[in-house]
Parts: sequence; structure tokens; C-alpha cells
Amino acid sequence: MFARNRSGNSQVLSTMKAKQKRYEALIHAFHADIYRYAYWLVKDQSVAEDIVQETFLRAWRSLDALNDEQAAKSWLITILRRENARRFERKQLETVDIEDVQVHDDTQQADADVSDRELHRMLGGLSDEYREPLVLQLLFGFSGEEIATQLGLNKNTVMTRLFRARNQLRETLERQGENRGRANG
Amino acid sequence: MDELEFRRRIYADPEATDKEVVAAAKADESKRKFWNEQLQFDKQLRKAAKVDVPDDLANRLIWQQSANEFARYQKRSRWYIALAASVAFTVGIGFTMWYHQPISIGGQALAHMQYAQIEESHSLLPVNLDMVNAKLASFGARFDEMIGDVEVVNFCHLSTVRSLHLIVDTPQGKMSVFIVPERNDIRVPSEFNDQQFHGESIKMQHANIMVVGSKEADLGEMKNIITQRIQFSA
Repeated sequence: MFARNRSGNSQVLSTMKAKQKRYEALIHAFHADIYRYAYWLVKDQSVAEDIVQETFLRAWRSLDALNDEQAAKSWLITILRRENARRFERKQLETVDIEDVQVHDDTQQADADVSDRELHRMLGGLSDEYREPLVLQLLFGFSGEEIATQLGLNKNTVMTRLFRARNQLRETLERQGENRGRANG
Repeated sequence: MDELEFRRRIYADPEATDKEVVAAAKADESKRKFWNEQLQFDKQLRKAAKVDVPDDLANRLIWQQSANEFARYQKRSRWYIALAASVAFTVGIGFTMWYHQPISIGGQALAHMQYAQIEESHSLLPVNLDMVNAKLASFGARFDEMIGDVEVVNFCHLSTVRSLHLIVDTPQGKMSVFIVPERNDIRVPSEFNDQQFHGESIKMQHANIMVVGSKEADLGEMKNIITQRIQFSA
């Protein structure tokens, strides 16, 4: 009876090991883009990290249900969005607006090329409803359809928002180009 | 496809591959240029979207899971201890209640009968009324008259109940008379029996009396005698 118990234990252990392995693989595969997505949701590094931690903790508990890559990705995104929403329910945390912090970065602009920083600031400046589908497309390569499913919107709405997001970015760029031209001239 | 629609499509998805978009681009140099620009811009956007990930985030995620699991494990252990404590507590309570449940005395009397046959008087003196009454006094009772040929009168314990056991020789064979105190935790069945003996009880004010005889014996007469001759002091 004890021998059987021991083999039962080692079975449990090896199952645990397999689960741990799967979990670590999941983290390595997705943590970076999930973190980035969180960052664009909340625009704050430490809050983003908190949400990502909570998201992956939940992933551990539901790991058995996460079969293929696509399912895992969209599951993680769903949980992350839920965690973020919960954060707002708990209390309206004060986050520093990215525009306030990085306004002076303009001075570091060396040439006509749009710098990463500038684009970063512009992305952060988009309204949430435009930024979120755009980030899903940029980070995860989701199609319009997939974004629609993920966000619970219809596809036309998503396509319109994507269009408006890029349109807004281009307009901002052009306006800046004009300003810079004027300043230089 | 007009210019505006083309821009809409490209803005919505610069990596679009549907035929209409491709055909429109092929047919129009300026559209092709716009598309290329947008693809270029998207590359930069994607780069910008890929913000730096904190060093070691992956390891921290793995670590926090282990820590969390450990904490849960500890909590679970505490839970087990709590359960064990509660089981022990319940067993304790249950045992106490079982211990205090009414004692059914009939079976005890029958068991006692097994060795009643070899039971001898603790006293060397012949049993007389005074001796019986002396012992009966502890039940607040006395016999007016002797109830027959009493051979033995001993205190005995039926389970935990101190009773007085009389062995009487009668024309129906030897019979045992048990005087059992009246207590809330004692249940005296009105009749009981096993393969060898059967017994009946008489419920009185301050005591129960059980008469036990062999299977074929008629206990009625002995019961009558006892009922008539026993007196309880108020």
C-alpha cells in the first residue's frame, strides 16, 4: 500500500513538473508581448507589470484549458483586459499621462525621421478605443476579424477604428512636420 | 477603387492582401507609393509598439507563481490541520454523547445471568429479610415480607449502573431480581430475552425492577409478589 502511494506521489510530481514546464514555456512565449499590450493599455510600466503578474497567475490555474497557441494568446489577452478593468473598479489609480512626461523629448529629435520616441508618444496619445485594436494588430498580428472577436466588437467597427487610428497618426505627423518646417524656416 | 476607399483599406490593414487592393495598387502609381509609405510607417509603428520589457520579467513571473503556489500549499496544510482538529473535536463530542446515551439495561441483565448461576453470596450469613432490606435501603425501598427463598443478595453493576441483584429459588427454577435505580440515562425495556433467559420489568416510582428467569419460567407470580411486598419510603 505504501509502495503504491509512493508511485502515486511520483506520478503527481511528474504531472506537476510537466505543468511547470508548460507554464514556463507559456511565459517565455508570451510574456513580452503581453507586457507590451498591458503597457499600452495602462501606459504605466509598474502597473502593467502588476497586471501581467496577475494574468499569468490566473493562467497557471487554468493552464489545462490552454491548448493551442492561438487560444492561449487570446485567453491571456482576455484575462489581462479583465484584470485591467478590475483595477479601475477597485479604484481609479493615478497614472501619469505619458504625454506629460515625454513632452520635452521633442528636443532630442535629430532629423526628419520620425523617432521611436515620437511614435511612442503619438501612440500613447491616441484614445483608448483607437489604440487598443491598433496595438493588437501591431503586436500580435491579429486580423480585423480576430480583433473584433477579442474585443467583442463587430468587424466594421474595428476596421473603422484602425483606419482612424492610422489616419490620426499621419495627421499628427504632418502637423508636426509643418510646425518643424515653420520653426526651421 | 477610389483614392479614399483605397486609403481606408490600407490604413485599416497595411498588410492587406485582398485582390481589389492589390489590383488598385497595380493600376495606380500614386496608390502604390502611398501603400509603400504606409508599410514603412507601420514597420516603425510596430517597433515603437514594442516597448522594452523589464529585465527578467519572465523569471519573476515564474518565481511569483512558485511563491504563490507555496503559499497556497501552506494554506492548504493549515486547512488540513484545521480539518483534522475539527474531526478530532467531532469524534470527541460524538464519543461523549455516545457514552452518555441512555444505557439499555436489559441486555446487561441477561449478560449478568450468564454467571448468576455460579454467583455466591458475598456474605457467609444466610440471607434473611433484614439483610435484604439493609441493602434495599439504598434504593429507598424495603420488603414487608421475604419474597421467597432468596439465596444471594449482592450489589452488582449493570453497565455503569449499581443495582441490587437477588437470586431467588422458586418452583419455576432460579430467578434473578434486579433492583435498578430510576435515572434519566437508563432505559429499562419492559421485556427482553435471549436463547436461555427472558426478563420482564416493573416500573415503580423510585426504581425499576427486573425479573429474569429461564426461558419457560412464568415470571408473573414473582412480579406480583414483589409489587405487593415492596415499599418505598417517601
